[in-house]
Amino acid sequence: MRLWSISLRNLRVRMVATVLTTASIVVATALYAAILVMAEQTEQRYKGSIGGYQAVVGPKDASQLELVLNTIFNVGDAPGLFPLQVAIELREGKVSRRGQVRYAIPQARGDSVSRHNFPVVATLDEMFSRYEWQQAPLSFAAGGPFRFGFDDLMALAEALAAHENGLRTGEATPPPRPLMRPEWRQAVIGSRVARTLGLSVGSSITPVHGKMGEFGYHEHPEAACEVTGVLAPTNSPIDTTIFLPLGVHLLIGGHEGGVFVVEIPPGKNPDDARKLPVSAARIGITAIVVDPKDHLGARILRTEFGTRPDAQVAWPQDVVPKFLRDIGNAADVLTVIAWLVLLVASVSITVAIYNTMNERRREIAIMRSLGARRLQILVVITGEAALLSLFGALLGLCVCHLAAWLLRATVEDMTGVYLDWLQFRWWELWLLLGVTGVGAGAGLLPAVKGSMTQVADNLAQNY
Amino acid sequence: MIRLRDVQKCYPLGERQVIACEVAQLEIADGEQVALIGRSGTGKTTLLHILAGILRPDRGEVEVAGARLDRLGESARDRHRGRHIGMVYQTFNLLQPFTALENVLLGALFGRGAGHAARERAETLLQQVGLGERLHHRPNELSVGQVQRVAICRALVNDPELILMDEPLGNQDRATGEQVLDLLLQMAAQDGKTVVMVTHDPASAARMQRTVDLATLRSSA
Repeated sequence: MRLWSISLRNLRVRMVATVLTTASIVVATALYAAILVMAEQTEQRYKGSIGGYQAVVGPKDASQLELVLNTIFNVGDAPGLFPLQVAIELREGKVSRRGQVRYAIPQARGDSVSRHNFPVVATLDEMFSRYEWQQAPLSFAAGGPFRFGFDDLMALAEALAAHENGLRTGEATPPPRPLMRPEWRQAVIGSRVARTLGLSVGSSITPVHGKMGEFGYHEHPEAACEVTGVLAPTNSPIDTTIFLPLGVHLLIGGHEGGVFVVEIPPGKNPDDARKLPVSAARIGITAIVVDPKDHLGARILRTEFGTRPDAQVAWPQDVVPKFLRDIGNAADVLTVIAWLVLLVASVSITVAIYNTMNERRREIAIMRSLGARRLQILVVITGEAALLSLFGALLGLCVCHLAAWLLRATVEDMTGVYLDWLQFRWWELWLLLGVTGVGAGAGLLPAVKGSMTQVADNLAQNY
Repeated sequence: MIRLRDVQKCYPLGERQVIACEVAQLEIADGEQVALIGRSGTGKTTLLHILAGILRPDRGEVEVAGARLDRLGESARDRHRGRHIGMVYQTFNLLQPFTALENVLLGALFGRGAGHAARERAETLLQQVGLGERLHHRPNELSVGQVQRVAICRALVNDPELILMDEPLGNQDRATGEQVLDLLLQMAAQDGKTVVMVTHDPASAARMQRTVDLATLRSSA
């Protein structure tokens, strides 16, 4: 028999009070751990996904955060369309001769696949040859890229523009709408898409417009694509992305009228704008992933886009840390709340044990009469508070991991952050010790009162 | 074994000090079995607590099992009590949440340690008093006689030199009480332990080797 076994027995005897007090410790610990896990994984996720001089070009009326979150982290809806003209100018060095870029890859978003809403990114095959993820091109776990280059895009855009202009001018026999070539109906998928949907090279996927259960949701069977490659895991939003050729996106049913971005001249209404001629350069895209050649190039791009009316450039290196700071501030507030909950729980430990001290005077006097020193009584009572807090903290951490397991899909869909529920973090050990220590501290007041019990007076009482 | 000289213990009563216990001189030899008798309020229990080291006298010398208790601090007296003194109370004072075996082991925990050897000794003692089948029963699952036997085992588990008893027959029927008292005196006599029993019952006192009336101790001061 040891002193802690007396503490344990005393907790068992007062089971209801023990359970209620433990519950408050569980809530405080789980809350605190959940905040830390979310903050840590968010930071890992977002900091790990930015690097080099990569920038995102998008429509002028979107916020930079919206643009970066959607383009790099698959969060939220695409903020709007802007003309392909911007990509053409970037690629040809027309935006600024000095602000040369290593690549400028246009993207279009808005569709998704499956009930998991894995986002579809319509783009060029340069995503797999020139785009760099952490200073290296994306690598394939199986298969290879689809084939759809910038020249294919421009040829398709010209044909679409000719067809559209024919319709707008009311030609009797407008040029035919270009057909989707069989060789374009290909897709490259991220590792988690493959794992979750059980897809592999040769599988078929059908994009859908909108999100399942929402207004406007519909499938695009005409755009069903064969998987040509599965990307190696990156532990980034790329893992949950489906890449299709931009041509497939432009030719999908329902996108016909909306693929061109037309400026409405002063004094004209939108109906008039639909009659204005269009060009290949007015094809609408949602983003361009840009990599300036060097630091100077980056600065020049920033200046050039500062005055441009149709597009803006956003820098993940600027936007993400600010975003994380904002999240950090929110996390700090939540952390303070968690500490307050822990404080309240500690007070409840003090009150719960303190209230038992009167009824335990005789029990303590008996132990003292058997030779127990005041310090041993102090240890027994403090031990009760410490054990109670230890159980509560352990359960709290289990609840946190369980919640992470239950909510991981929802959290990832909403924020792009993947909660690794199985990962043990060293701070969990410190949290466990900290909560136990705080709990033991909360037990000190009743413990001191208990240790001061007068032996002779209380032994003399008959109960 | 026990030597008291010029001992006095007072309690405050309002602004006055009331003498609760006064002993001019008392000596009890090793292995002796002594009954301390006296009317209610003569300080029998106070004297017992002084012998146990629970209370420190306001003045006088108290020597018990080789230690001058009047000179020891509280913690040292607690340690001395745990190792050298076994106590049996009128109300038995077992702890309800613990089983019979655990109650006996509690005595060992605060005495010489509740290791493997103590556990074996506790089990042996409980078997000797006929509770071998009741080791894991709680006090409320035992009869009054069984509870008192557990209390006796707890007093003996540290193999103390001195056993102090406070009205051990007060709360039970006479036949059972005498049976248990005989058992304790027999076990104590076997190991040559000193026994001091506080009682107001002349029949119980008659079972001891010597009877000391507290009134005579006071009057001789």
